[in-house]
Amino acid sequence: MAISFEAVYEQIKSRLGQTRLVAIGKINQRDMERFAVAVGDSNPLFFDHAFAREHGYPGAIAPPLYLSSVLGWEPGPPEDSLRPDGTPHDDAMAVPIRGLRVMGGGQELEFHQPVTAGMDVVMEFSVSQAELKQGRSGPLLVVQLQKRFLTTDGSPIVTCRENFIAR
Amino acid sequence: MEPAKLFFEDVKVGTAITPLVKRPSTVQLFRFSAMTWNSHKIHYDKPYAQSEGYPDVLVQSHLHGSFLAQAVMDWAGPAARLVGFRWQNRAIAVPGDVLTCAGTVVKTEIRDGLGYVECELEERNQSNQLCAPGWARVQLPLRAGTAGHRSN
Repeated sequence: MAISFEAVYEQIKSRLGQTRLVAIGKINQRDMERFAVAVGDSNPLFFDHAFAREHGYPGAIAPPLYLSSVLGWEPGPPEDSLRPDGTPHDDAMAVPIRGLRVMGGGQELEFHQPVTAGMDVVMEFSVSQAELKQGRSGPLLVVQLQKRFLTTDGSPIVTCRENFIAR
Repeated sequence: MEPAKLFFEDVKVGTAITPLVKRPSTVQLFRFSAMTWNSHKIHYDKPYAQSEGYPDVLVQSHLHGSFLAQAVMDWAGPAARLVGFRWQNRAIAVPGDVLTCAGTVVKTEIRDGLGYVECELEERNQSNQLCAPGWARVQLPLRAGTAGHRSN
């Protein structure tokens, strides 16, 4: 399948600066704990309210990467509309990378306040940068997304810049 | 079971982060994908992952990052506050790999009366290949009586 990197690149570039708002809703204690369990991280700050309060938190907190690791906060598309690689066509990434191999490249995070159960959270999402590069094995596309997590009254929780690499 | 409390004064440039060893399994990758609503087949469908040229299903980018964050928070203890963090995915990892997260303090400073340390982090596999470099900025409690304004 011939893929025009230039066409994909132009399409992504046209979305630069557009901001999309996603209502995440109230953060759930069980989901935070399941994330910690999936990581294999038994830090009592994530599970034990009394322990967390003894250390200055309002209650048990989410692992630091919880909000920025979840790829979709909406129900998501039905299976038959997923791309052949299993990813949604139009997920929070909103990157039209049909036919390309995609990999997460890492994140840069600032933590403004801890995440606790019951917080009502929104995510402000945008494509902040796109670069077409020449890699060792051909062209590659580096796309930077910015995700800002805020409480519904606008106070910042986490700022995340994330790179995705498409080849 | 409670980790010892680490104070700003206990740390200097060159202090090592206590290494953390992780052995991701296919079950762990499945549960992490489920929890993060990550349906990318490279994380759970081995024939598909092989069709993209990988030896097996891959540890998720965010799971590599989470391992490094766990290492820093375990070392810094519950009184610390993680204020900044980053990692980069450099090499793939698959179930059965033994991933060691380690690091070193590279900067300490007192700013606005609070103590901060910065650490360079590394996640390496059993062949000592660098899977993910990282960095963290952590606020550590000051011992009573410390009234410094600046460190190195």
